[in-house]
Amino acid sequence: MPTIPVGTFAVANAWLLVAPLLCFAQAASPEEPSSVNVAADSLRSAVVRAIRTTISPNSFVAETDPSPVEGSVFFSVEQAQGNNQDQAKPPANKQGPPSVSDLGFPPEQTKPNPQEQERLDKRSHMLKTHQRLGLITTVPLVATVITGGMAGGRKTNSTDRDLHAALGSATAGLYFTTAYFAIFAPKIPGTPTRGPIRLHKALAWIHGPGMILTPVLGEMAFAQKDRGERVHGIASAHGAVAIVTAGAYGLAILSVSMKF
Amino acid sequence: MPTRTLLVFLLLALSKPAVGADSQWVLERSTLTYHVSHPLHQIDGTSHAARGKGVCNAGECDFLIAVPVKSFDSGDSNRDLHMLQAARGAQFPLVTVRTRVAEADFGSTTIRADLEIQFAGQTAQFRLVPFQLTKQGAQIQLSGSIPATLSDFKIDPPSLLTIPVKNEIPVRVDMTWSSSGTGSSPK
Repeated sequence: MPTIPVGTFAVANAWLLVAPLLCFAQAASPEEPSSVNVAADSLRSAVVRAIRTTISPNSFVAETDPSPVEGSVFFSVEQAQGNNQDQAKPPANKQGPPSVSDLGFPPEQTKPNPQEQERLDKRSHMLKTHQRLGLITTVPLVATVITGGMAGGRKTNSTDRDLHAALGSATAGLYFTTAYFAIFAPKIPGTPTRGPIRLHKALAWIHGPGMILTPVLGEMAFAQKDRGERVHGIASAHGAVAIVTAGAYGLAILSVSMKF
Repeated sequence: MPTRTLLVFLLLALSKPAVGADSQWVLERSTLTYHVSHPLHQIDGTSHAARGKGVCNAGECDFLIAVPVKSFDSGDSNRDLHMLQAARGAQFPLVTVRTRVAEADFGSTTIRADLEIQFAGQTAQFRLVPFQLTKQGAQIQLSGSIPATLSDFKIDPPSLLTIPVKNEIPVRVDMTWSSSGTGSSPK
């Protein structure tokens, strides 16, 4: 009977042939366990079927037969069952293209965050409005500074003075509306302030108080003029405070529009 | 029948097992810099946070590079946040670049790669983008520029003082890749 020696030969040599495959499967990348193990299992299964075919009296093993090989020591019953299921699949004989999950980014860096996007959208919308209003504010601001030179004089009543006061009031109104959109724009946590925006924000500590103080001093000066008095006391600082305020305001615009 | 089975078995066992990738590449270092032009500003935003991997099979290598949108630094936190908003970076946190390169091309000094870039929820294809290659041992240094535009990704051009930036936002790429060898895991 030639079948028995050939079968014995096959069983004996199966160890030698399967051993490197098992080693290869174990040495493969830990990041790609599924594809390597599926391929190794598939090969193991092929070996099992070949052995079965060789030693079986009927020379036939059903594809779906889950029964283990008698006396098999190099794989378990579960593996054999799993392998039979694998026969229905094409062999995974090569690694596919890399995916984002292979790159090891922390989940918080890859997960979409619609709430944060909404916050960013709102922030950008408010700061764009801040920018537009800030530019618009420069028009009455410059006009107020220019008419300031004509608001003095000795007369108790002056159209120039009224115009200056009206422009100053418009400037202050627009200024505080502009500031509102910057102050109440949503903050983005974990974002330290860097770059020219720091100067822009720092200058707000000059032109902000200046924009409160200037109209107050202006009102005092206006009242003194109305009474026919010379502008005196703290009201005499109105012009100087206004110049510093306007200068800081202009510098704040330049700080974010010009590259230093 | 048994003899034939045995032969098939031996042929199967002796043939080279095609399991896993032929080789893998890992992105070791990178500098990605976008450039934005405005009449008042020339802005460069840089990221060193890209990660990448290449898998080679049968002479073809599939590469994937990804970088978080928020990792780009232009030197101004306000501008970076605005860029993040304009690029919908919270909704789509990663920029991914996929390309397939013939393994034989690694021997040359220039390659032209077809890139598929996903950014801001859009996918754009860039054909035959030239890159310079410098091989140093098991490492390859790659540099080039991707001719991206805002309209490629349906991004409304941000504006400063009501003047919008230019549509062109070329991205300078400098990367160092290292081969992690046959079947070995990436670092």
